[in-house]
Amino acid sequence: MCDNTNKNIYLPYLATVAEIIDETPDVRTLKLVFQDEQVRESFAFRAGQFGEYSAFGAGESTFCIASSPTRKGFIECCFRSVGRVTEELRRLEVGDTMGVRGPYGNSFPIEEFYGKNLVFVAGGIALPPLRTLIWNCLDLRDKFGDITIVYGARTESDLVYKRELQEWQERADVRLVKTVDPGGNGPEWDGRVGFVPTILEEAAPSAENTIALVCGPPVMIKFTLPVLEKLGFSDEQVYTTLENRMKCGLGKCGRCNVGNVYVCKDGPVFTAKQVKAMPVEF
Amino acid sequence: MQKYISQHNLNTLLDKLIAAGTRVVAPRMNTGTPLYEPLTSSSEMITDQLPRRSAKEAFFPVCEDIMTYEKEGQKVSVSDIDPARFPETVLVGVRPCDAAAIPVLDAVFSWDYKDEFFLERRRKTTIVGLACTTADDACFCSAVGLSPAETKGSDLFLTPLEGGGYACETFSEKGETLIANHPELFSEPNNAPPLPLAQPQTEKFDLKRVKAWLDEHFEDPSWDSIATRCVGCGACAFVCPACHCFDIVDEGTEKAGTRRKNWDACGFWKFTHHASGHNPRDQQPKRYRNRIMHKFKYYDDKFGQTLCSGCGRCIRVCPVGIDIAAIVDEIGKK
Repeated sequence: MCDNTNKNIYLPYLATVAEIIDETPDVRTLKLVFQDEQVRESFAFRAGQFGEYSAFGAGESTFCIASSPTRKGFIECCFRSVGRVTEELRRLEVGDTMGVRGPYGNSFPIEEFYGKNLVFVAGGIALPPLRTLIWNCLDLRDKFGDITIVYGARTESDLVYKRELQEWQERADVRLVKTVDPGGNGPEWDGRVGFVPTILEEAAPSAENTIALVCGPPVMIKFTLPVLEKLGFSDEQVYTTLENRMKCGLGKCGRCNVGNVYVCKDGPVFTAKQVKAMPVEF
Repeated sequence: MQKYISQHNLNTLLDKLIAAGTRVVAPRMNTGTPLYEPLTSSSEMITDQLPRRSAKEAFFPVCEDIMTYEKEGQKVSVSDIDPARFPETVLVGVRPCDAAAIPVLDAVFSWDYKDEFFLERRRKTTIVGLACTTADDACFCSAVGLSPAETKGSDLFLTPLEGGGYACETFSEKGETLIANHPELFSEPNNAPPLPLAQPQTEKFDLKRVKAWLDEHFEDPSWDSIATRCVGCGACAFVCPACHCFDIVDEGTEKAGTRRKNWDACGFWKFTHHASGHNPRDQQPKRYRNRIMHKFKYYDDKFGQTLCSGCGRCIRVCPVGIDIAAIVDEIGKK
């Protein structure tokens, strides 16, 4: 574990790329298995935590752990190729080695959600940080009430985890509302057409005994929070995750702060109430 | 413990330490620039000039290896850096402003996750502070509650005396050990008065009021006027004894290389730039605001300390004349 007993907190574990899944033309999932047997067994994380993933020679990049803590023996990360490290991670093939530090940051207080209904609202590439929690909850299905997932992207091809959307759609114990932005739908699209906040408003999940978990681009968040408020959600009932550029993930390197809040240590999971108390610096 | 040491004996002490293999770091001239650097002889030490950069790099180097990697086919091996390679060090002639900033940095490098690169060097280093007899217009240690005689951060503190030599006072076991290992070089304190100390001209800031204003004014039109001219060169952070932001980068080839921790600065536009193109601090005043906030509010919120010891270096090096002392003074009077 990268914890206090580790002498060098910057030293990553080595992991083997076990599987590569292309989610969209530029978004890829890597399934990773730790090479050290002891780490494989002891690596424990909670939904919402993140890692620093390295392509040796290019550097490290920060992503959430996208798989569920209930699925043991591997972790998954999901990223869009937009920079030096992610381009290099994209070049990795099955069997190649990469580095992982973590798990870092706080997590979703899932125990506090027991007995409640859950509404997941995600946009585009921001499904992975909620997908870890979605599967965590689905694997403990009887601990929760109704589960609603509202997920949208610009176009059909931008939707990630398409195979899982299919699975959620077919499950009787999940209500999936998927949507694409106007113009993003092909002839065989069987979901909704419209922006996520609008579709959420139409889906109108009840706020009673419900927790909303929202993750998406800033513009989606901006328009989703008022909709949730209109539906009767208080700011304490709404959770989101923040992302800022990070290097250490350990509360030292000094760049991920939003005001005096360090996303890497105090977050990345925050309630809407906490986010609204922060200066707009994310 | 209080003792006296003559200039001659201080030089002997340093030369003995050097001969015994201890790394002795002190202000010395490097091609015309005073810097804290390892000495090869006590004669290199200078005491009349403030080094261009602070003493923090004895613990937190500009650039440091944190691991190495080697690739072979699909396999990668990584090698840790052995902290045992950090040498026992005596840091001598440290300005009170520089020494005082070091324990402030302990907080960030030791909270929660422990950065052994910093902490192991701290354990292995004895800090010998030196009372300051030279101040210039940019000095403002007295404004942040320190002084030219401040002993914070020093294990052993030297005060230069009329007639030569230094009064020595210990503030830790490390300081006492340094004396105990060389008893013949120290004698009982004498009654000589200290040389006149520096007299920084800045009025004391009301740091409570400064923080109270910062607590309420993340958004304020004055940030624009304070920092529009900042060119984002980052020089202020690089010379600062308390700035500690860093980058982590890989340097090497396809086959092998090194992962390094390099100094970074919140004044750089790229510091917070997301891969997506979004930048939460997309304008220079927002970056400069972070600098002030971090020093006088955030670090206080988190660790109860101020991240500035008034050395004045950022004022001296700023290419556009930004004066943090004037800015903070003004904030405290708002």
